[in-house]
Amino acid sequence: MKRLPLISILLLAVCFACFPKFAHAQAGGNDISISVTLDRDSIGLNEQATLQVVVSGTVQNLPEPQMPTLPMFEVYSQGRSSNISITNGQISSAVTYRYILLPKKPGTYPIDQIALVYRNHRYKGNEVELTVLNKGNSAGQNLEKQAQDSNGKGKDYFMEAVVNTKTPYVNQQVTLTLKFCIAVQYYGSPELQEPATTGFWSEVLGNKAPYYQKINGRTYRVIERKYALFPTQTGELTIGRAAITATVAARGGGYKDPFNVFGNFFGRGQDITVRTSPINIRVRPLPEKGKPDNFSGTIGNFAITASADKHTVEVNQPVTVSIKIYGTGNVKSVAEPVFPDLDDFRIYKASSNENVSKNNDLIGGTKDFEEVFIPKRPGRLEIPALSFNYFDPMRSKYVTLSTQPIGLQVTKPEGYASTSDVPFSGPDQTIGSEAKDIRFIKESMGSTSNVGGLIIFSPIYIILNGLPVALLAATVLVRKRKEKMSSNIGYARSRSAARAARKRLVKAKSLATIEKGGAFYAEIYQTVTSFIADKLNISPHGLTTDRIKQLLKERSADEGLIEQTARLLGQCDFARFAPSSITQESINQSLKSAEDVMVAMGGIRF
Amino acid sequence: MMILLATALIAHAQEDDFDKANKYYEDKDYDSAVRMYESILDKNVESAALYYNLGNAYFKKGDLGHAILNYMKAKRLDPSDEAIRHNLDFARQFSRVRMEGVTLNPIDSFLGSVVDPYRLNTLAWISSILFILFFVFLILRYGLGMWSTATKAGAIVSLVLLLTVAGLTTFKYRTEYLTERAVIVADDSPVYTGPSDQSDKELEGAPGLVVKIIDQSGDYYNVLFENMRRGWIKKDLVAII
Repeated sequence: MKRLPLISILLLAVCFACFPKFAHAQAGGNDISISVTLDRDSIGLNEQATLQVVVSGTVQNLPEPQMPTLPMFEVYSQGRSSNISITNGQISSAVTYRYILLPKKPGTYPIDQIALVYRNHRYKGNEVELTVLNKGNSAGQNLEKQAQDSNGKGKDYFMEAVVNTKTPYVNQQVTLTLKFCIAVQYYGSPELQEPATTGFWSEVLGNKAPYYQKINGRTYRVIERKYALFPTQTGELTIGRAAITATVAARGGGYKDPFNVFGNFFGRGQDITVRTSPINIRVRPLPEKGKPDNFSGTIGNFAITASADKHTVEVNQPVTVSIKIYGTGNVKSVAEPVFPDLDDFRIYKASSNENVSKNNDLIGGTKDFEEVFIPKRPGRLEIPALSFNYFDPMRSKYVTLSTQPIGLQVTKPEGYASTSDVPFSGPDQTIGSEAKDIRFIKESMGSTSNVGGLIIFSPIYIILNGLPVALLAATVLVRKRKEKMSSNIGYARSRSAARAARKRLVKAKSLATIEKGGAFYAEIYQTVTSFIADKLNISPHGLTTDRIKQLLKERSADEGLIEQTARLLGQCDFARFAPSSITQESINQSLKSAEDVMVAMGGIRF
Repeated sequence: MMILLATALIAHAQEDDFDKANKYYEDKDYDSAVRMYESILDKNVESAALYYNLGNAYFKKGDLGHAILNYMKAKRLDPSDEAIRHNLDFARQFSRVRMEGVTLNPIDSFLGSVVDPYRLNTLAWISSILFILFFVFLILRYGLGMWSTATKAGAIVSLVLLLTVAGLTTFKYRTEYLTERAVIVADDSPVYTGPSDQSDKELEGAPGLVVKIIDQSGDYYNVLFENMRRGWIKKDLVAII
């Protein structure tokens, strides 16, 4: 019996562990919590505090908390934001409410009783306390002056431009603050016309979230924008006017629409423009006193570090040294620190990059440089301290900083020769284990040619490649002719007529004696008739002198030639029928005549 | 006979100069070696070994740009020479600047790897032999009427080979001779956005970087780097390969 309560407790614990939802449901009253925080514990009279109320719980629609009356403050709601998440089927949501509190009187005020009621259960937030100090009662004389018009009446809106210093050194940051204060309702986003900043390198620091400020007892909504300006020259410079245009609710009176059922909801707007006054800045040159000889021109407040990526390295292998300069000031103008020439190292610049940041309205950042050091000899070597100087405008003095020297253990690579013959080395070198140097020169000049001489443009090359083309053309022509000769008897006879005639004439010459006179004349006759028959592809038999004359006439042969041919053929006939009449003289004459006739016939187009 | 004798004498004189230059090199008098090698080039004579030795002398002098320039000239004349390739690769490691984002046209890089080991003249001779062979088959077929399958096949095969080799020869000629390339030889070699030192600086070159010349204006070349960055560089800061 004694064990029963213990078992029951264990069972209950297991149930709670396994069923968280059940556990929550059972927990009932603990599933909503209210957390109240203030952004600061104490404020001045003209300052403001932000009250943040976070309602969180495991229900989807969290009710809004009820705010207590805070008679010592003007309370402005800054809206709400909600966040719902579902994890393992469990809903958890949180709604954040923000309020701006503007104090009315000094004193210490507890803020509690922020509560809500959910399912008949009241949940209460934690208590916070805000102390309002009797300081900063004034919003700044300048602002108060600005907030009044010439009659001493409070202005509904105005804009102010202020700088943190009017006598900066050249390249020292001047922070320009523009404040647009407005105590009446306005519509949309006011449009800003940026001030002219000739002579400055300008960087916008950003806009501050709008806040409320009490000036001359009146609450203004303040929109603030800041700039970092770096004067680039000495002498008088002017920051131009800034202007802002906004649409504000039209001021009372005037025409009222009798049908205006929406009241002033769509209130008629009135465009207003306010301007700041120009600000004169006197830029001072840097003092000559104490100026280092090698002053780099950097202004601000900086620190420097140097580090190497390794401390043990082989000869001729690179070591990357990173130099980091960081702080406040115009980082872009930070000059690269210069190492002196070192006997033990070759130095190469590798890279540099800068990173500009804005912290607490001050421009600053880091500038990184990388330099590659190639050790030339083995042993214990040292990269010396690097000095860097700048001018600190806040202290009006020059500052010189030094890095720590970096020790390097440089080892000998395999096969290291005490005097390296490689005259340079680079960060990218990855020399293989066997390659320490270039290969040695060649003993012989080898085959030479004219500078820029290419074989493709030499005449030999062109002729050599032209030859087969010519040869092909020739063989094709020869073959074609052969084919024509064998397939066209007329063509073949015509082409061979002259050759046959020449042969016959030669034969006739050998017969040119009285004894062989008959045969001679027969051959001469054959020569002429066969030539004409071959040329015209006709039978030589039956070709009479008259027929030949006619054929020659048809081919427009010369009359003289026709007559001479006829006479020659007549002589041949006569000699054949009267051989006794043949004399050596007549033979010679006929041979000469035959040769003339054949030459002349060569010119006729058959 | 006289011409042959004169040619032999000139060749002998050049070999003498070459030996003298080599002697200077061995004595580590690299300036004199460079002068002597260049005096041979001034006589309109070139050879792969001459450019190679000149490249070596420049390298030892510490003039990386001219070393790489001469190694590239040597490689163009004798691409299969292992020592030339080695020294070119070795020297290029020392360039101060590494090109990022170099992307090669895959077709060009394939064709380049095919023709790389051969000289242009070798490819031209092979093309010529194939051209003659092709025409021998054409003569056999169309000139002598040998209509056999063997002549047909021979003509087709030799034509295909001819077109391939001639194409590769053209590619090599285009990339190595027709396209004007240069090597940056000056230590300070700013590259501008326009053909004037008043233009913005595009980048800083370094000795040994190889560029393609795409245009020129006045004293400036418009050059294209291997990673397709382009800009204008003063003519006297580069040397044409």
